[in-house]
Amino acid sequence: MMRIRKPPAGVQPDQPHAAYKSTLERAPRQPLIPLPQGATELSGPSFDRTVLYPHHDDLTKQTDGEPLGERIIVTGRVLDENGDPLPNTLVEVWQCNAAGRYHHDSDQHDAPLDPHFRGGGRIMTDSEGRYRFTTIKPGAYPWRNHPNAWRPAHIHFSVFGRSMLERLITQMYFPGDPLLGYDPIFNSVPSERARERMIAHFDFEVTKPEWALGYSWDIVLRGPESTPVQPG
Amino acid sequence: MAELLITPSQTIGPFFKYGLDWPNGENLFPDSTPGRRIRVSGVVTDYQGTPVPDALIEFWQADASGRFGSWRTKASGGFGRVPTDDQGRYAINTRLPGRVAGADGRMQAPHVMVVLFSRGLLKQVMTRFYFEGEAANQDDGVLALCGARVPTLIAKHDAGDLNAYVWNISLQGASETVFFEA
Repeated sequence: MMRIRKPPAGVQPDQPHAAYKSTLERAPRQPLIPLPQGATELSGPSFDRTVLYPHHDDLTKQTDGEPLGERIIVTGRVLDENGDPLPNTLVEVWQCNAAGRYHHDSDQHDAPLDPHFRGGGRIMTDSEGRYRFTTIKPGAYPWRNHPNAWRPAHIHFSVFGRSMLERLITQMYFPGDPLLGYDPIFNSVPSERARERMIAHFDFEVTKPEWALGYSWDIVLRGPESTPVQPG
Repeated sequence: MAELLITPSQTIGPFFKYGLDWPNGENLFPDSTPGRRIRVSGVVTDYQGTPVPDALIEFWQADASGRFGSWRTKASGGFGRVPTDDQGRYAINTRLPGRVAGADGRMQAPHVMVVLFSRGLLKQVMTRFYFEGEAANQDDGVLALCGARVPTLIAKHDAGDLNAYVWNISLQGASETVFFEA
């Protein structure tokens, strides 16, 4: 039976992670039990384009007006760690507005809501595993983890892949953000190379003249062992 | 060696509503799907037993005949997604899953895979639940790995209704649910 590779050391955040305080109250303390990969873990749901909705890939067009902020295009490929593209996989995104406020009842940050920005989108990757959407650049915002704590600008991503073991929820960050060095969530990933995996690149090829700056960001999911497992 | 480094996980945070809203996510199968109709509900709690009101739970299981939907076959069903409510509760409607093979090829007892995301978790936690009263639980290869903590993985009959089960998720603490890595 096919097996999915174990994540390399230092790539996934350790939890609990003391610098991110709420992990101390919620992350499991008992050792995780190694689960042999069976039919349940090696399968997963598939979705077709019926899960998309009007303006699913343009977050600037989901109301009757234009949101405020810097318009951007974000694009890239969803690949597995063997370099194989993942076509027809569902990518979901959500983010705060340009002022750093989420369109969500529980977000009490004293920054303006934008009546023209809800901040959610869905994209199905194409035959080459590519996704692309238009949005506005999210703002930084404060949170209460520690004194004067600020989240760097980020877009949340959810990706399914081919099996439930590949399931990923992560955040895309922007290059050169001075807050990255201070952020316990970004820095929960031990490996510097792995942290860089979460930062998009500014991309002139994607930038549309007189319209929007472009960012490229590839997402790499776990993938199968390249050599078949020998029976017995 | 793999070609590319995988993208690390980051927390779902508390504000996922506009990105991950999933209409009808509490129903894992279309209404016409054969099998024994069951309802599973429970509460998610933290280290002090306090309900977790901002978790997102996903479910994945085989249908009553032991088949999975998949990206290859385009078969639908078997996937569910629900956020916990303001009291940490969730509920799903599904079918009792059929038996499927484990890694060693042996048939496992009926079970449902669960992944849970929330603020305070940097990556999802993965677990599964089984069903009280299923004879196959005795020989299940995964339950055999869990020792004295097996009861945290068994959904119990709800009082008075054989088709309703209760399964709570304790993220941390004395009765912490078994979580797996694979």
